[in-house]
Parts: sequence; C-alpha cells; structure tokens
Amino acid sequence: MPAHQHAPRTSPARATTRAARPHPQPSADDASARQYSSADDPRVMLDRQVGALFEPIPPYPTRTEREGEFYSLGDGEMFLNVGPHHPATHGVLRLVLKLSGEQIVDVDPVLGYLHRGVEKICENSDYYHVIDQVDPLEYVSSLFQEWAAVLSFEKLMDVQVPRRAEYIRVLSGELLRIASHTLFMGFLALDLGGLTPILYSFIERDEIVEMLAALTGARMLFNYFRVGGVNGDLNHEFMSRLGDWMTRAAKQTEAQAGLLNENEIFVRRMRGVGVLDRATALRYGVTGGNLRASGVPFDLRRAHPYSVYPELDFNIPTRDEGDSLARYLIRVDEVRESIKIVDQCLHNMPDGPVMARLPRLIRPRPGRAWGACEGPRGMLGVYTISDGSDGPFRFRIHDPSFLNLETVPALLPGNLLADTMAVVSSLDPVMGGIDK
Amino acid sequence: MDRTLKARLEARLSDHLRAPVYQRHDETEIRIEPGSVPEVLRTLHDALDLRFEILADLAGVDTGVAMQVVYHLWSPMTSDWLRVIADGISRDDPRAPSATFLWIGAEWLEREAYDMYGIVFEGNRDLRRIFMPPDYTSFPLRKDFLLPDDAARSPGAGVRHVERAHVSAGAADPAAGIRRAPAS
Repeated sequence: MPAHQHAPRTSPARATTRAARPHPQPSADDASARQYSSADDPRVMLDRQVGALFEPIPPYPTRTEREGEFYSLGDGEMFLNVGPHHPATHGVLRLVLKLSGEQIVDVDPVLGYLHRGVEKICENSDYYHVIDQVDPLEYVSSLFQEWAAVLSFEKLMDVQVPRRAEYIRVLSGELLRIASHTLFMGFLALDLGGLTPILYSFIERDEIVEMLAALTGARMLFNYFRVGGVNGDLNHEFMSRLGDWMTRAAKQTEAQAGLLNENEIFVRRMRGVGVLDRATALRYGVTGGNLRASGVPFDLRRAHPYSVYPELDFNIPTRDEGDSLARYLIRVDEVRESIKIVDQCLHNMPDGPVMARLPRLIRPRPGRAWGACEGPRGMLGVYTISDGSDGPFRFRIHDPSFLNLETVPALLPGNLLADTMAVVSSLDPVMGGIDK
Repeated sequence: MDRTLKARLEARLSDHLRAPVYQRHDETEIRIEPGSVPEVLRTLHDALDLRFEILADLAGVDTGVAMQVVYHLWSPMTSDWLRVIADGISRDDPRAPSATFLWIGAEWLEREAYDMYGIVFEGNRDLRRIFMPPDYTSFPLRKDFLLPDDAARSPGAGVRHVERAHVSAGAADPAAGIRRAPAS
C-alpha cells in the first residue's frame, strides 16, 4: 500500500494555537501553584474546551489567498457558523458567515459532509451497476442522473433507443420534474417560516412518486433507465394513477402556486433579494431555472435537443429580474410546461419495444462520450471514458447544484442574516448531488 | 455533427492543436498543451464565430500515464458539444493554468480536480480541498489509489478480475498494476 494512503489524521497546528492562547498564570507565591501545573488547572481546561467550541478560525494556518481574506475579521465583524446540521440547509451544508451586525459581509460554504466517492465507486463497477450507483446523488430527481449516464453510454456504444422507450423516459422524467419543483416550492416557503405549503407539496409529490413506484418499483431511487431503453413497459396501475392525477393536476398546481404567489409576506421577502445578473450567472456556470431567471434562455431540451424533445411543443420560460422571486416563478411556469409535455406524451406514445437489443455484457469500444440532460436544477452531465472493458475507466459526474451553490458567496453579501436561507433555497441545491 | 465547426476551429487554433480535430456523434474534440489553455479558452469564448460562453464541465482525468484537464463547452453557434482536452500533464507534479479568469465558477470545479487528482491550478485564488477533510493527504481518484475492498476484484462482480493486470506478487513498481486509458 502506498505511503500516502490512510495517513493518520493529525493537526499539529491545533495544539500550537491552543497553547498560544493567553490564560491566567498562577503567581509564584501561590501555594497551590507548586502542586499543580497550569495544564491541570480546571479553569484552563475549561477555557480550552470553550475555545474549541466557539473557535471560528480554522485550527491551521490559512492556506489560500481567499481563505486568508475570509478568516481575517475587520472592525466590528464576527463569524457565525450555520450547519452542517441545520433544518434549512437541504442536506448537510455548512456555511461560515462573516457578519457585521446583522448584515452579511462574506460567506464560505464548506462542503463534503455527504461525500461518498460515487465517481470512484462507478469506476470500479460495470455499466449496469453505475446506473443504480448514481441514483442517490440527486435523490429528489434521480431519473435525470440516470438519464445523463445512459445518454453517455449510448453514445459510446452507438445504441439506437426505441421510440417508445424515449417517450417513456420523457414522460417519467417530466413527472419527476413536477414532483421536484413542487417540493422546491414547499421547502422554499418552509425556509421562510411558512408551514402550510410543504404539506400541499407533499400531497402532490406523493401522488407522482406513488405512480412512479407503480412504474419502476421504487419511490425514490428508481434504477429504471437502462442502456438502450427502460426497464419495463407502462403498466395498468401507473396509467390509471396518472389518468386520475392528470384530471386535476393543472388545477392543483395552480392552487398550490396561488398559496405563495399571492402571499404578500412571501413576495416581499423574495423580491429583489439575491439578484444574479446575466453576466455573473454565465461566469459562474449556473444552469437550469436559476440561469433562465437571469434572462438566458438556456435549456438543454431546446438548446441541445436529446431524446424526443424536438417533437414536443413546449416553451422555455425566462425572466429578467434574476432575484429569488424570479427563480421561484420560473419553477411555477416550468411545472405548467411539464404538464403540457406529459399530456403530449400520453397522446403521442408509439407502440413498440422499450429496450434495444443489446448483449448482456456491455463492452463499448475504447472512446469518450459526454451525455447531458436538463434536470430540474439544471444541466446534468456525465463524461465517460471507456477502455474497452465492461466498466467505465473514468466516470465524471457534473451536477448543476454544485455550480448553482457556488454563487452563494456572490449573492449573499449585503443581505440580512434572515435572508440567507431564502437565497440558498431559492437556488434549489441538493447536497446529495453537490457532494457526490 | 458540425463539419463547419471543425474548419473554424482549425482556422482559429491551428497553432495550439496537438492532434487533428476529432468528431463523433454531437461532440467535437480538440487536444491542446496545458500551457496554451488560457489562450485557447479565451479564443473559444471571445471569437465571434465560436462564442463558447457556457462552461458545462471541467474535470480532471488520470489516464494512468498522464493527467488531463477536460473542459466541456457549449455555444449557441453550433449544435455540437466542444471538448477541450489539456493533455500530457505530468503525474508526479501535475500543474495546469486556471480557467477562473474567464469563468469564476471554475474555481470550485478546479478545487474538486485538485482534491481528487492533486492537479495544481495556477491562478486559482482558493485552491484547497473541497470534499475531503483539510488534513487528508492523498488523492482518491488517481488510478494508483486502489480501494481496500475493490468490488471489481472480487469473484462474481463481472469478469474484470481475470482481465486486469493486478500488482503481481512482489512488484516493486507501484504503477505496475494500475489501469491505463487506451492510447488515442
């Protein structure tokens, strides 16, 4: 085993920082001082423990220019640590905020609490295993992560996917997009202190998730898409649940949106907060609804069409404001468009097989392929390098939430502490995908 | 596949291309030296007939022989994805120029590539680990980082365990058993 693996976790700098902390030294003529060294003094020990609890400075010398800039406090500034376990951080995200009074001066997001090394696991799996390994990344919309992976594999192998399979992919994907967006609306309101919308969100989402469970066999981690098609045709239970839901879907989503759209507290807390302008959004590599809320009509379903999207009729809603409210309203509009797409899929669904004929052991020729699809949060991409064996040599996962979250240090400064969560959750990050 | 894109790229970047422009499906691929990354990205971003404004991805790759930094770009001027491979970065001392001067969002992507491969991006203001803890010392996505319990090497997990040349008993060269990318 190479020496660099499994090195013991030590931080010698921590010890020196603590020792340098001044604490009251007993005078020489104090009788008790001769019996105990200062290290045994309970007051000193308490001081050390308290220091460990509330020390905001990393216990090591700062390593980069940006870190040095962040961890030096100006006059009247203080640090506030949010997370990693905080009810409003959408997973395990830690934000170190630098505050001046109640105003945010700077933010340092700390990631990695959910890092599982999925890329490494996938590089040690075969192509079939990869599809269920990528499911738990974006656990709110896992079909899209599977979709990106199979798009990339299908390019590697020149597979022609049957049209019925493509329609089923679009159908299930758009249903899941609706579920994901409704959940986003509920959690956004929850982060602002509104308890009611999340209950309606879960009603909506549960109906969709239950019908997808009838289709795929699982509620969240579907493992449904296959290289060359999907695992199983539409069935009666799915169709009856879907038909039932479609009769009231439009009305139900309008009612849910109305709960927030016309809520003055909600609108006033969202409007003009966390403004992301067009140029900054492009420089940050933001995609999805967050980019479209800044006025860039970039949606892969139109910008780089895949599957059967060119045959379907739907709009790409955009807005110019770029604030948190625009990012919310974009999602409301997208739900409407998705319902339109689901309707068209049901009307145009062709007959035929749902899987291409493929050998049981997949071994693409050596090569490289990039597959990308438009998920609810933006562009999900997968870059695969094949070396001719039955598993990917390199499996790169690009998650949109990662770059969307990166804008937080640009959006938050100048806002109030209470707006932190309004801005972060309006970007709709899912930490499972960010931390991989 | 966009044939005109190939011609435009060859016209603009002929000095920097290490290999002919390669096209397959909806992807166009160019291979450059790591040193010419800033100039090439600047041209791709600014030239009026290219305008690759969206950085879709930045990833490190360890081929087992050398390191690569791979950029995926999108432009409204073409229906192709553009893949830029900065190839031939030394595995012992991997260094590459940063892309943060064009896309500030590349900062975290480069932090990730540094965290996973140890590639040092010169010009990145915040090159520290992003997923692994700050006192972690190795680079887990490198090909010589073998998992202690590698599922692919266990019997029953596919057939690769008979195909792969593993570290033979007593092999002194630590790179002897690592998987290598196909030459191309």
